[in-house]
Amino acid sequence: MITKFQVAYRNLLRKKMRTMLTIIGIALSAWVLVSLLGFNRGYEISLNKDIDNMGFQLMVMAKGCPYEAATLMLKGGTGLRYIKRDVVDEVMREPEVEQTTPFLMAAVFDPNKGESGGIAGYFGVEPKSFSAMKRSLKFRQGKWFTDENAYETVMGYEAAELEQREVGDMILMPEKNVQFKVVGILDRTGTQDDGTIFIPLKTAQKIFNQPDEITTIGIKLKSGADSARLEEKLYKLPDVQVVSLTQVKDTIMSLISTAKVMVLSIALIAILIAMVGVINTILASVWERFQEIGILKTIGAMPWDIFQLIWTETLILCTVGGILGVILALVLARVTDILIRSVLPYAPGGGLVVIDWKLVLVTLAAILGIGLLSGVYPAWKAGRIRPLEAIRGEVGR
Amino acid sequence: MHSESTTSRTGKKLPALAAAVLVLLFVLTGNGTARGAVGCDLNDPDRDVARLFPESTGYKTIYTSVLQKGGEKLLAKVESRLGDKFHGIYETIDVPYTIYEIFTNKKKVGYIHGVNQKGQFGGIQVFLALDLEGRIKAFYIQKMTSQYAGKLRDAKFGRQFTGLTGKDFDHYDVISGKAAGKIEGIRNPVPEAEADFRAALRAAKKNLVLMDEFVDLTP
Repeated sequence: MITKFQVAYRNLLRKKMRTMLTIIGIALSAWVLVSLLGFNRGYEISLNKDIDNMGFQLMVMAKGCPYEAATLMLKGGTGLRYIKRDVVDEVMREPEVEQTTPFLMAAVFDPNKGESGGIAGYFGVEPKSFSAMKRSLKFRQGKWFTDENAYETVMGYEAAELEQREVGDMILMPEKNVQFKVVGILDRTGTQDDGTIFIPLKTAQKIFNQPDEITTIGIKLKSGADSARLEEKLYKLPDVQVVSLTQVKDTIMSLISTAKVMVLSIALIAILIAMVGVINTILASVWERFQEIGILKTIGAMPWDIFQLIWTETLILCTVGGILGVILALVLARVTDILIRSVLPYAPGGGLVVIDWKLVLVTLAAILGIGLLSGVYPAWKAGRIRPLEAIRGEVGR
Repeated sequence: MHSESTTSRTGKKLPALAAAVLVLLFVLTGNGTARGAVGCDLNDPDRDVARLFPESTGYKTIYTSVLQKGGEKLLAKVESRLGDKFHGIYETIDVPYTIYEIFTNKKKVGYIHGVNQKGQFGGIQVFLALDLEGRIKAFYIQKMTSQYAGKLRDAKFGRQFTGLTGKDFDHYDVISGKAAGKIEGIRNPVPEAEADFRAALRAAKKNLVLMDEFVDLTP
């Protein structure tokens, strides 16, 4: 015996092009929905990972001091302000603090970069505390400095690539004319560490004549420590500012939320268009089979049977469209990633669109739910067709 | 000859079209994710092209690599012509090269092309402005890290290369530094920077060999 599913399936095959276009509409909506939800998850995961990779949650620096390499490059090191090395010990006394690492950022002018010269940045770090905090850093070649007073350097991958350096090579610090031996080259991290040239802190202090000064302290908190409370305490230290990476993250997330709202609106519009498409397709199919439905009723079909038949058609359309959309989202996740990156003001490293099975199932359920809702009106309309009027072809024409 | 997809009916064309779009997207995103070696571009192409090719009115940028142009076979040929192996972790088959095709009005008049070269204390970026036959019109070191970089980047040093071709560099051994013919006449302005002087010559030879393979500079 032929089932309702088979009848519905064959009905859809009668108008192949229309069915295909409806499925494409649903698939595109599902694609947008999965990608958007995947982006919602992926962005936050990647941002958290980027912040975790920094190894610390708080930074302390002199008031008005640029704390980011890009600012340092733009200002050419002229905006640098310093804090005393002793501040590290004061910070370390706080019970919330697990670890600290001091930095000294410095920049020199290289007249032989391009036509009008350029800035070269150096990052003085304490090998022991820095490497302990930045455990995510992996070496492509070599290792950290052999001595905290050594004239040695560890280069980020892109810095090494630009300077064509390998372990054992020498580099020259322009302006100061000091030579360093390359002892390590880091793997790519996708962060600003890639373009950084690290030298031992004490060596940097000596070269830049800042014997007891640093520019920044990175602070790692103990698990479960109250970051806000520590920030308050640190603000009491003279002439320092505190930057919380949680704040940085929150600021980025709030900037991104605008973009998210826009994409969500587009997704909702796409879903609405798909819903209208489903209603249109099924309704058109009902009107075309007006007489046929009337005959079905005269031979004993009940309104509920007709309702189920029409609803099954909606179910098939939405299931196929939903699955295709999910496949599209999975296959094109990388493209979506690139497109999103091109429009966002800041995008963390790693995948921006993360799609897992839970998300796939939620989306399929949503598409089916919305689709079935769209099918209620055409199915109800079909169920109410009066057999004799339908056979005479008088109603609904 | 028509392919099947162009001659078939619209209904059959759609899957083929969709497949083509997908393949294209994969190719594009594949390139986007590639983490290949670093290339060598002019810092400010508008300004630098006008300076290196004063008669130019415009330029077109082409990206290529040894891998794209001929793979291992081409690499072996380039190395043989250079007289040295590509070495280190950065001088590899997949290094992207940027070729600036130079135009005066609509007429192509030459090229500008740069290569990265390992120097004594850092990377050296050597650009050559070439006419269509591969004759050097200008030699430009965009970046060099050395105490003596100023002298090697000086226009006086660069002028020694003007008029030289790939054939002239056939008489230069990049490993021993021995030169004959016109190359022998290129003087190092700073004997203390012999390593960087030789690196600059190797970069110039590599640049000419690559350009000859990429665009065929045969007169």
